[in-house]
Amino acid sequence: MRQTTKLALALSLTTALTTAAFAAEVPAGTNLAEDQTYTYRLLDESSSLDPQLVEDTDGSGIVRDLFEGLYNQDGQGNRAPGVALSHEVSDDNMTYTFTLRKDAKWSDGTPVTAGDFVYAWKRAVTPELASPYAWYMELMSIKNGAEIIAGDKTPDELGVSAPDDHTFVVQLSQPLPYFADMVAHATTFPAPKWVIDAHGNEWTLPENIVGNGAYVLTEHVLKERSVRERNPMYWDNDNTVLEKVVALVIGDDAQGLTRYRANELDKTDIPAGQYPALKEELPDEAIAVPRLCNYYFSYNLDSGPEAFQDVRVRKALALALDREVIVNQVLQGGQFPAYNFTPAATAGFDVPEIDYAAMTQQERDAKAMELMAEAGYGKGGEPLAFTYLYNTSEAHQQVAIVATQMWKQKLGVDVTLENQEWKVFLENRGNQNFEMARGAWCGDYNEASTFLDLLVSSSGYNDAKYNNARVDELMAKAKSSKEAGPLYTEVEQILAEEMPVIPVYHYSANMMLKSNVKGWPVENVQQKYYSKDMYKVAE
Amino acid sequence: MLNYTLRRLMAVIPTILILIVFCFFLMRLAPGGPFTSERPLPPAVMKNVLERYGLDEPLYVQLWTYLKNIILHFDFGPSFSQKDRTVNDLIAQGFPVTLTYGFFSALFVLALGVPLGVIAALRHNSFWDYVMTGLAIFSQIFPNFVLAPIMVLLFTLSWGLLPGGGWNGGQWPYVIMPAVALGTSYMASVARLTRGSLLETLSAGYIRTARAKGLPERTVLIRHALKPALLPVISYMGPVFVYMITGSVFIDIFFSTGGIGQNFIDAAYTRDYAVILGLAILYSVLTFALLLIVDLIYAWIDPKIRSGL
Repeated sequence: MRQTTKLALALSLTTALTTAAFAAEVPAGTNLAEDQTYTYRLLDESSSLDPQLVEDTDGSGIVRDLFEGLYNQDGQGNRAPGVALSHEVSDDNMTYTFTLRKDAKWSDGTPVTAGDFVYAWKRAVTPELASPYAWYMELMSIKNGAEIIAGDKTPDELGVSAPDDHTFVVQLSQPLPYFADMVAHATTFPAPKWVIDAHGNEWTLPENIVGNGAYVLTEHVLKERSVRERNPMYWDNDNTVLEKVVALVIGDDAQGLTRYRANELDKTDIPAGQYPALKEELPDEAIAVPRLCNYYFSYNLDSGPEAFQDVRVRKALALALDREVIVNQVLQGGQFPAYNFTPAATAGFDVPEIDYAAMTQQERDAKAMELMAEAGYGKGGEPLAFTYLYNTSEAHQQVAIVATQMWKQKLGVDVTLENQEWKVFLENRGNQNFEMARGAWCGDYNEASTFLDLLVSSSGYNDAKYNNARVDELMAKAKSSKEAGPLYTEVEQILAEEMPVIPVYHYSANMMLKSNVKGWPVENVQQKYYSKDMYKVAE
Repeated sequence: MLNYTLRRLMAVIPTILILIVFCFFLMRLAPGGPFTSERPLPPAVMKNVLERYGLDEPLYVQLWTYLKNIILHFDFGPSFSQKDRTVNDLIAQGFPVTLTYGFFSALFVLALGVPLGVIAALRHNSFWDYVMTGLAIFSQIFPNFVLAPIMVLLFTLSWGLLPGGGWNGGQWPYVIMPAVALGTSYMASVARLTRGSLLETLSAGYIRTARAKGLPERTVLIRHALKPALLPVISYMGPVFVYMITGSVFIDIFFSTGGIGQNFIDAAYTRDYAVILGLAILYSVLTFALLLIVDLIYAWIDPKIRSGL
C-alpha cells in the first residue's frame, strides 16, 4: 500500500520546529503570474467564520487564512510553526508550554499575545457560546474542559494560562501523545476579545472582523462568495504571494466543472464517476489523493437480526464483498479498497497484517461460502434477509446495489435497500433503528485513534454498539502510550476477527486544479491548505 | 375600494398566524433536528447548544417567544446553520438578489410574451402565427433545468459571452441567464394566453361596434381589445411573479446566485427552523400582497369588477 510521510508522534522534552515550509516556497527563477488571484469552489456556505464556532471543512479552510493558531501544517501535514515557535513538555507529559513569536500582529496592528489564546480557548468551552465544537476541546483533554462544558466549573478554571505575553501554558487532565498536533485546528485559534466585545455576534462581518492570519476578509455575500485579501500586518506577509482568494459557493458539481472549464475557477471538485474521463482529458489537472476518511457497513449488534450475532455470518458478508469492483468499477475515483478500519494514509499508522486482505477474491468467496454454510444460513440453510439503510445519494445507492448483489449471488442473502434523507437517516442510525447501515468517518486529526475510538463501547459514534473489553482497554492505553502503534495493530486485528463493521474503502479527494496553481498541499492527507503557501505561475 | 383593500389586509394577519403555527409544528415532526449530525454531539455540548437557542423550552413557549420577537422587534431569530447570521440577515442578503432577477425575468416574460401573442392573434393562422405558436410550445416543453445547462454550454463554454453563474453584486451579465432561464416557459404561456384571449375579444360585439364607428384599428386594438384581453394574463402573472421572486430554487442553485431560493432547500435539509419559518412568512406575505395587487389591477381595468367591490 501507499506510504505517505509518517509523522513522528513520539514526544520529546523540547520540540523545536526546524522545517522551513511555512510560506510559499517559490523556486528561484519561477515566472510568477501577474494576476495572483486564486478562485475556488465551495460546495456550501461555511457554517461560521468564527474560529470557535466553525464546524465544516470548507469553513475551516477560510478560517485558516483569516486566523493563525499555535501551529500550522506544512505541505505534507507535518507541524509547522504558526504563532508558536516551539513548545516544551513537562516530565509527566501533562503540561505544554508554547513559546510564541514576538512579531505576530492582528490585522488592526495589535500584537498577538498568549492572552488571546487564553481568551479563545476559554471561549470555546463556555456554555453560553455553545460551540458545537466544544467537544474538540474535550478531546484535547485540557484540564477542567469537560467540567466547564458540563456547567460544573467556570471557564476561568480551564487549564490554560499566560505567564507572559509570549508564553502560553496548557495543562492536561491526562497525557495525550498527539496533543501538539491538535492545535492546528480552527477551534484552537486565537480570538480578538476587543472586537468580539464591540460587535458581539456580528464580529465576523467583513467590516468588523480582525484576524491574525495571512489574509483579511474583504467581502462576504452569503451563499455566493467570500473574498479575502492580503493582510499587510501578517508577520510573514513578505513571503506571501497570492494577493486575493475568492471562494465561490456552487452547489452543483457539474456546474462547478463547467465554470472551471470556462476558467472562472482555479479549483473545483470532480462530479462522481467522472475522474477517469477527466484524468484522460486533462491529466495535469485531474487529481486524486488519499483522504483521511473511511466508508463502512455497520451491523446493528444491539437490536439487529439474530444472524448478526454469529461472527461467521459477519465475516462471510465481509469476505464476499469484492472491494476491487466497488472501487475500480463503481466509484472510479482513485479510492482504496479497505480491509481494515483506519486508512493507511494515517500518520504513524502501519496497516497490520490482516489475513483476508492478502487472499485473492476467489479465496475470500470460497471462505465466505464455507463460513455461511457453517453458520447454517444462506444457500441451503436458513434464509437470511435484512435491510440495508443508507442516506439518499446516487453514489451510496450504486455501492449498495453492487454490494448486495454480490451477497445475493455468492451467499444467497436477500437484502432490501432503504434510503432516507440525511437527518432522518442519522436519527435512525443513531438510535439503532436499522439492521445494517452505511457508515463513514473522517479523521479529526491525523492519528489512528480518531478512527479506532469509534468502536470503543462508550463512544457516541459506535452505531454498531460493538462492545469488546479488550478493545476498550487497548484504546484507553493508547491515549497515554508513547508507542501506540502495536496497540492499534492489535485493535485492528480484533476488529478483523470479530467484524463488527465491514470496511469497504478509504476515500480519496478528487479535484480539478489548474496546472499554474502551485503549493496546494496534495500530499497532506487532511487537505489542510493555506493560501499563504500557494502561488500562481505564468503560463 | 379603500375599504376593500383594508378588509383584505385585515384578513392577512390571522391567516399568517395560522400559517406560522402550522409550519412551526409541522417542521418539528420531521425526524432529526438542527444539531443532529454525523458526529452526534456529546450530551453536555448538546444541552448548551439547545439552551443557547431556546430549543430546550416546551414547544408552546418557543412558539410564543418566536411570535413575540417578531411583533416586538421584527426579529425572526438566529440561523442555526449560519451561526454568525440571523434570519433577517439571510433574507436581507438573498431576497434582493432573487427580486432583481425575478423582476427582470417578469419583464422579459411580458415584454416578449405579450407582443408575440398579439402578433399571433392579429396574423391569425398565418405563417407568423405558426412560428409564434411553434416557438411557444418549444419553450414550454423546455423546463428551466434543461434550458439553463444548454444556455451555459452555449453562452459560457462555447462562446464565452456570459459568466456561467454567480452574482457579483448583480452586474448585468450575471443577471441575464437566470432571468431568461427562469422566464422562458412563462413567456410561452403568456404568449399563448394573450393570443387566445385577444382572439376571443376581437370577435366580441363591442369590437365590431368600435370598428363600425370608424375608430382607427390601433385605437380599437389598444384601447378596446387589449385591455380586457390582458385580464387572464394578469391573473396568471400574479402567482407566477411571486414564484419568480421567491421560490426559484433551481435557478438559485444552478446559477449560484445566492438568492433566497437556495435557502429554502438548505433550511429544510439542515432543519434550520427559524429560517424555514421566516421564509414561509416572507413567501406568504408576498403572495397575499401580489394577489391583492392583481385584484386591484383587475378592478382598475374592468369597471364591472370595480363596482362589485
